[in-house]
Amino acid sequence: MKFLNALLRLSAHVTENGLLMADSAMRSIQQNLGKLSGTEAPAPPTRPPMEGPADLDSATSDFSNRAFRILQSARFESGSVVETSRELFNAAMKSYSYEKNFRDWMLFPLQLPLSFGTLATQQGLRTLYAARSLSPDRVPGFLAYVTEIFSDLHVYLSLQYKERLEKLTQRVSERPDDHNARLDLGRCLIKCGRYTEAAFELSIAARDPGLRRRALYEATVANCRAGNYREAVEAGTAAVLMDPLNERAQYWLWLATRKAGGYPADFPQEFRMELKAGQHPSTVQFEDVARAIGLDKTAGGRGTAVFDYDGDGYLDVVVASAHGGCSLYHNNGDGTFTDVSVGSGLDACVNVFGIIAGDYNNDGVPDLYITRLGFFGGECELLRNNGDGTFTNVTRQAGLECWGPAFSAAWVDYDCDGHLDLFVANNLGGLFDRKNPNRLFHNNGNGTFTEVADQAGLKTLYPTIGCAWGDYNNDGFPDLFVSNGIAPAQLYRNNGDGTFTDVSHPAGFDDPCIGSVACWCDYDNDGWLDLVQFVWSPPEDTIYTLRTGHGPKNSFPLRIYHNNRDGTFTCRTKDLGVDGCWGTMSASVGDFNNDGYLDLFLGNGDPQMDRTEPPIILENDGNGRFNNVTFAAGLPFTGKGHGANMADLAGDGRLHLIIASGGLYPGDLLTVAVFRPKTVPGNYLNVRLAGTRSNRDAIGARLELRAGGRAQYRSVSGGTGFGCLPYEQHFGLADFTRVDSLHIRWPSGLEQELSDLPINTTIRITEGSARWELVYPAERTVSNQGISAAEALTQNSSNTTPEVPS
Amino acid sequence: MPDFSLPLLSGATRNLASFLEGKKGAVVVFWSGVCTHCVRYDDYLNRFDSDHPELSLVAIASRQGEGAEQLRSTAAGRGLRFPILHDADSKVAEQWYTQQTPRSFLIDAARVLLYRGAIDNFKFPQDPDYLAYLEPAIDAFLSGRPVARKETPSFGCAIRSVYYILPKPL
Repeated sequence: MKFLNALLRLSAHVTENGLLMADSAMRSIQQNLGKLSGTEAPAPPTRPPMEGPADLDSATSDFSNRAFRILQSARFESGSVVETSRELFNAAMKSYSYEKNFRDWMLFPLQLPLSFGTLATQQGLRTLYAARSLSPDRVPGFLAYVTEIFSDLHVYLSLQYKERLEKLTQRVSERPDDHNARLDLGRCLIKCGRYTEAAFELSIAARDPGLRRRALYEATVANCRAGNYREAVEAGTAAVLMDPLNERAQYWLWLATRKAGGYPADFPQEFRMELKAGQHPSTVQFEDVARAIGLDKTAGGRGTAVFDYDGDGYLDVVVASAHGGCSLYHNNGDGTFTDVSVGSGLDACVNVFGIIAGDYNNDGVPDLYITRLGFFGGECELLRNNGDGTFTNVTRQAGLECWGPAFSAAWVDYDCDGHLDLFVANNLGGLFDRKNPNRLFHNNGNGTFTEVADQAGLKTLYPTIGCAWGDYNNDGFPDLFVSNGIAPAQLYRNNGDGTFTDVSHPAGFDDPCIGSVACWCDYDNDGWLDLVQFVWSPPEDTIYTLRTGHGPKNSFPLRIYHNNRDGTFTCRTKDLGVDGCWGTMSASVGDFNNDGYLDLFLGNGDPQMDRTEPPIILENDGNGRFNNVTFAAGLPFTGKGHGANMADLAGDGRLHLIIASGGLYPGDLLTVAVFRPKTVPGNYLNVRLAGTRSNRDAIGARLELRAGGRAQYRSVSGGTGFGCLPYEQHFGLADFTRVDSLHIRWPSGLEQELSDLPINTTIRITEGSARWELVYPAERTVSNQGISAAEALTQNSSNTTPEVPS
Repeated sequence: MPDFSLPLLSGATRNLASFLEGKKGAVVVFWSGVCTHCVRYDDYLNRFDSDHPELSLVAIASRQGEGAEQLRSTAAGRGLRFPILHDADSKVAEQWYTQQTPRSFLIDAARVLLYRGAIDNFKFPQDPDYLAYLEPAIDAFLSGRPVARKETPSFGCAIRSVYYILPKPL
């Protein structure tokens, strides 16, 4: 068996190298031919391709996607080969209609096969990596999922589902016995949110013996989503009895029975599901307060950013939505919120994926950057904060125009010049697509940016989902971790001179995985940034984890890389007790139980309508274990989470877990959830930094806090996952009543140390000043014990520490 | 709220004031024939006149690229009986700060805004978590009480976006 595995591994490597070589060979021929025809490799697009593809490679991708869709729908129209060929011909005419000169035409017969060839090598590499990132029995299901998502989402995002519904409805009315079409109609109706109609169509499709299994399962989903729980239990029971191996059906039946009052009495015990995961005793109890505090927006949730947009000190929230506009919520000063989206300029920003806050012009109010439609292609935009509750789109003036399937983005001052630069991570724009280059924009310091990814040595090897900036080697310059969709991850070391070196291989990031977002965090408080790369797992692995508490044997859970302090990393996931598999799409890190160790918060799911998955919290016990305490802590059993964020919204020491829920299909609408600890779990100190020589938000600053003989480290990040955490750094102090010292290394290089700090409050420290100030009025700060905020304020005024020269 | 003057699907132009004549107020719904969420409210909107004779209902179709002919055939196909105004260039949607369909506005006879937002919380009435938003506002208004929840966030299909005019892959 070992030999077989080694052989399989070897052949995978041989295939990988073969594909890589073929790819680069064809690419260089392409380049030479391009030189012959006088056409240069096209620059990344800055605006939507309104006239269709503008070059051969984009046209080939476009045609492949169209052809796939035509062939997919052609199966209903058997016998119409002529019609299908005509459609394919029309598609080719449309895709390749870009302007060509005489030499282009001459070389077209040579260039076309090469264009298909490089597309094929890239698709091949992705398939290969998928096979290496999953256990073998999950590969076919995964490929089917990817195929459906990528060929489907365009139709739903561009609101063409009306045509699809009409086509299927017409087909079903013409041929009522075409149960395949009816099953598709049912599934399409679920995606559109018309669950009851879907259940009806599926109940008819279930009369076909060949489709009964699938139709019953889909009917369970439709009924469950429609709130018809009794019908869902009926369909689910039949689906499970017909196909006992269908774990998804068992899961949906379990969900329905929880609402309908349990399993039918005669339902076999062995097919019943029990929840074993997430039961580890929690140190914190959470309650969902979204409705109570006014954040319960119903939406296809995406990124969230927590920032203080109006400078009143209280943390405000912006929630992006895949289908609607962004929502801006103003903190009323007591942890409740008012929706102030209308007229802010953000309400008009539709289809947003990622949203990050950062003060690019150092004017004291944070601005926003948005990415759009990471599976499709969209315009990214820079929205300048006017300081009066409105935002203006200044993308063009800033020289930031770009179009692409951008997933996440992050603010970073990579050259430590005091001005925030910007990194944008691009995914794939379709089932057949080439990797879109990631972008690095350097801030020129005058409100404009210049793209420098190439000069800086950042290469886009694979389609990217997540990015994380952190100074892993403590040399004062932020380094870049790139989390790729279906590929190995990459680590770029910042050379400190505006260039980067790819150190992925020596650092130990060789194994591919289905990566989503990533975070730098010092989970063991040793002063060296460790890394968590979150991973997407198939639904079956998640269901297995829910019912057993552990991931399946050959599964690929999230990766926690320990920093070995010598430029290498060791994956320690298993040693840390983490083996659960979740379909993580978004995540963040923070000490929600105030014990001084960073915990993890995962937003899970995927676009499929039959996937719903709880958010997961992993509590770091400080002794080298991450415990899954999710359900013991009072979190729900279902969800679909993007924009997982943690912030002390009320300024009282309780990190709220914020999660923008919802999916990409228009029917997958969920409400934003906010889980708040019922009580303050321990002492704390929130620290905000204001840069003077460094960038205003001090993104990239490193903080070392000593209390009770222990040190804790934070680094200020300018973008995590789909959104960004507040720049405020939350330190849990457990039952320590005193902070011994706080050492800050500012991005400018300035180092300063403060002592005599208060606890159980939120303070602001300005670069170069040895004093600190309270962010909130002293009387509203609740003091547990030790130095209260008010007492500390008196101490601070007589603080004798000399001023640090700035 | 600003008045507007838009053509009905039949061609005749109507303004908001004409809908308010002899009524206590009106409900304005931004609506689209393409929007799959609006479909769910077909019955509700068809019944609206008989359920609330004191109020007018008017739907505004603002979605980019949705033509009058397309709207007429959708309305006929689905048997829609409520008046639909065509806001071809989405100007009214812009004036009313609306990006998504369906989004409803309850106004009184003097066009003072009483409620705006979603019709309900997008659950189904049989769901234990179902919450109506528009109906409680109407009840409060008609019985002379203040509206408790004056605004809810909208959701649904976007009215304008560059993606809908890209070359269609289908």
